[in-house]
Amino acid sequence: MTADKERRRAISREAAKRRRQVESDVFGDLSRLLPVQPSVQANLDKPSIIRLTISYIRMHTLFKVNTWTNAETSHAASKYGRSLGNGEEQQMCDGGWGHAEKEETNMYLSILDGFLMVLSTGGDVIYLSDNVNKYMGLTQTELMGHNIFDFAHPCDLEEIRNNLRLMAEDVWCDAKRDFVMRIKSGLTNRGRSSHLKTATWKVLHCRGRLNVCASPSSASCLLLTCRPLPLSHTLLSTHTFTSQHSMDMRFTYCDQRVTLLLGYSPEELLGRSIYDLCHVLDTNCLTQNHLNLCWKSQSVSSQYRMLVRGGGYVWVESHSAVIPSVRPSKSRRSSHQPLSILCVTYVLSGVEEPSLQLSVDQTVNR
Amino acid sequence: MSVRDTLAGGGDRAGGGEPTEDLLVEENQSSCMSLSSLMTASSVAGSSMSTEMPRKRKGSMENQDSRSASIPDVDMEDDQNGSDGDDQHVKMKCIREPHSQIEKRRRDKMNHLIDKLSAMIPTCNPLSRKLDKLTVLRMAVQHLKSLKGSSSSFSEAHYKPSFIPNEELKHLVIKAADGFLFVVGCDRGKIVFVSESVTKILNYSRAELIGQSLFDYIHPKDMGKVKEQLSASELYPRERLIDAKTGLQVQADLPVGGARLCSGARRSFFCRMKYNKISVKVEEKEFQASSSKKKESQKYCTVHCTGYMRSWPTSQLGAEGEGEADKQDSSHFSCLVAVGRVHSHSSPQVNGEVKVKSTEFTTRYAMDGKFTFVDQRATTILGYLPQELLGTSCYEYFHQDDLPHLADRHRKVLRSKEKIETNFYKFKTKYGSFVTLQSQWFSFVNPWTKEVEYIVSTNTVIAQASRSGNKSEQSSNSKTSEEDGKKSLPIIPGISTTPGSMIYAGSIGTQIANELLDFNRMNSSPSSGNVSPFSLPLDKSPQIHNQISNNVPNGEATDVEMPGKSSSEDEPQGAAFSGGETLMAHLSSGENSQLDLDSVVGPGLSSLSNDEAAMAVIMSLLETDTNLSDAVDFEEMHWSL
Repeated sequence: MTADKERRRAISREAAKRRRQVESDVFGDLSRLLPVQPSVQANLDKPSIIRLTISYIRMHTLFKVNTWTNAETSHAASKYGRSLGNGEEQQMCDGGWGHAEKEETNMYLSILDGFLMVLSTGGDVIYLSDNVNKYMGLTQTELMGHNIFDFAHPCDLEEIRNNLRLMAEDVWCDAKRDFVMRIKSGLTNRGRSSHLKTATWKVLHCRGRLNVCASPSSASCLLLTCRPLPLSHTLLSTHTFTSQHSMDMRFTYCDQRVTLLLGYSPEELLGRSIYDLCHVLDTNCLTQNHLNLCWKSQSVSSQYRMLVRGGGYVWVESHSAVIPSVRPSKSRRSSHQPLSILCVTYVLSGVEEPSLQLSVDQTVNR
Repeated sequence: MSVRDTLAGGGDRAGGGEPTEDLLVEENQSSCMSLSSLMTASSVAGSSMSTEMPRKRKGSMENQDSRSASIPDVDMEDDQNGSDGDDQHVKMKCIREPHSQIEKRRRDKMNHLIDKLSAMIPTCNPLSRKLDKLTVLRMAVQHLKSLKGSSSSFSEAHYKPSFIPNEELKHLVIKAADGFLFVVGCDRGKIVFVSESVTKILNYSRAELIGQSLFDYIHPKDMGKVKEQLSASELYPRERLIDAKTGLQVQADLPVGGARLCSGARRSFFCRMKYNKISVKVEEKEFQASSSKKKESQKYCTVHCTGYMRSWPTSQLGAEGEGEADKQDSSHFSCLVAVGRVHSHSSPQVNGEVKVKSTEFTTRYAMDGKFTFVDQRATTILGYLPQELLGTSCYEYFHQDDLPHLADRHRKVLRSKEKIETNFYKFKTKYGSFVTLQSQWFSFVNPWTKEVEYIVSTNTVIAQASRSGNKSEQSSNSKTSEEDGKKSLPIIPGISTTPGSMIYAGSIGTQIANELLDFNRMNSSPSSGNVSPFSLPLDKSPQIHNQISNNVPNGEATDVEMPGKSSSEDEPQGAAFSGGETLMAHLSSGENSQLDLDSVVGPGLSSLSNDEAAMAVIMSLLETDTNLSDAVDFEEMHWSL
């Protein structure tokens, strides 16, 4: 009896083995067709293979449906294999055909100061440019195909959802998007690490637009450039000033350059709220910036107007972060540290309407 | 939800005590420890996203529908999951969940993926019955082969495969960046390349721009700034680094000038660029009373340029290079490669061509109703220049009949988070006549302190024609509101249109503001427990009080003592405050009282002399062990956006 059972079991095990082998082979075939490096390819697990395949197909559909390439290169778009570069651009690069192309693409990506993300309306990460590795410590193949809601900070999910939806105002503003979200990152200050204890939240400033496609509706997507905050760039410019604020956005410090740019002396700004100094129509912009700071600890404001002393205003943009206002010490870790906001403000325009006194502060006589 | 929570949740699933179970279990354990554990706990379900590079997975992740999970799977390869010694204790913890659950989740996930895949493949779709896994996979293989076309490609050494062909990716970048790419030579500013998208943005064609000097298209006042960004020879004295730990300035070692020009050095700046306006009609009304007539002058829009420096050996450039005119000392062609993005506030489409409603203007009031900000559009409507209104109380301009109603609204808006609409009311213009307005007020609350900072009012002019229809309504309104006004508003004796007696009207606003302050003070608990929602208002109200006084440049006494006002007047209004009380509680409920709102300036930070150093400080502070998301529990804050 038992021998019989044994034999039957052995047969079924063999059959199962064969089935699994066939399946593995197909997975192998599929993985070899994916545009990934061979070293990466060999190590992909089955769900990842499927995920990447889905992404690949989706990107292809998106390009076919959306008019992202213009007429002069559309012939290249139709061939979804190797593409030919534009003659003019070729001259800019070193020799070598495929090499030049790739370098050029790298050039384009480097300009971004971040990486590209394409999201489906359901939040699936359809595509990430391969430089995401540099910023997030996680590779393109590890992240693509997953859903953004699995990676984002739980408090930001609602905001992400709102950005994925088409709103009524989008008709006028071209469905532009500009928001800040937090994503789990594998990068630490010691370099790449996927060890859990050091996984951190990376604050990303995302800008782009929602591409709506009526049919097929699956071709609608959110196209974003994401750059991690704080921005580490060499913005050496004379048209900026640094300021520090308490958490309610009152000035606690301001550097001297503000005098040249806005006319106020640092002393007269202390204790003043930034909301007093801006144009009334920009209240929403500043509020959003402030909320981002409170929630996510970093923010880039969109452009708003700051009133100049004596009359008129300038357009500015602020990059801010919440920092502890005293040096962090280990012993105080658990206690509540005072926080403050550090702001770098870039003045974008000249003084507009210099003779116009819009705010009561501007009317105060010296 | 911090990362540590996730670890705890994920850790529960992996691990195992029995050696035979180890194989199954170890996989899950590794999936806990790798990327999947970075996801939120709810979504880890069945996810086998273990794509750690060194772990070979092929063939080891089997979903066997026909087998139950409890049978040890002797066929499973589990080579590399081997004993990470330090993970043993994690494995122990993970046994809490039955393996069948884990397996089931993994199967479900796989099935879900297969379904998604079949939805993507055109040949799968028309078939109504659900296809089995193998078939779907085979069809996927076919489909990918067809997409790839004839190129066999992946064998080439140089070829670096990517999900999107390079050409498409470049376009995608431009599209996502929403701007135009340009390359300019550093010494002359010659535009060597610009992408097609510039036409949409600046309205110049590529041909017009290529070969021209960038400086021809930049606003004169910004030329210096742009030159500074393109050139790199001077040493910048401000480039000092600050060691965040000690707050001391540290000399940078490498020669700054050299670093700036080398390839890869980033640039980011704003400048105003010309754009080509086609249509000429300037037909809108002039809204700014003080600005001069609009000349047919050059229009500029603000462009944000970000990119980096690149340098090519001139030998490679052929005709396109700078070779002809200037044989520089260096044989390298340095240029800036950047993308230019226009900001909507000053984009050609928006600037001056959007019809601004000439019947609307916005103002800001202090809590007591005094104008602190007046939008320039007010002048054409009211006749006053903004500076003539600033500092004066809005009540001085409201028609007598509307005072009670507006005072009531004023009270409401200070206690409410919503926008409050007024009825139609009359506002006195400079010339003595009245214009009918309707306003929407909301009190702007500081997101951090939850205190009202000021009131924003959007005011719309109501066309004269409808005035007659509303006039009777309005007068009856004012009568009824006087009747059932439960507020003991002092009757203003003898209000006339002469400015002299308006001082009494002005006091209404102040009184209303003071009511709020008194209410706050009365209700704040002296014990100042951190939990009390009113403890913060107690601290802040003196500030607000000062703010109000500061906003009155003409020295009118705004403090508590006002003629006719006594504390007894406030008491009967307790009924009105009950609604306010709940609103105040609502306003302060989300306060995270754990934070000490100390506004001490950090020692090292006052010495910051440039923004780059500031950024360096930010970066280093944020990268230290202080993880802010731990210090503050954001879950408790109920911000409403």
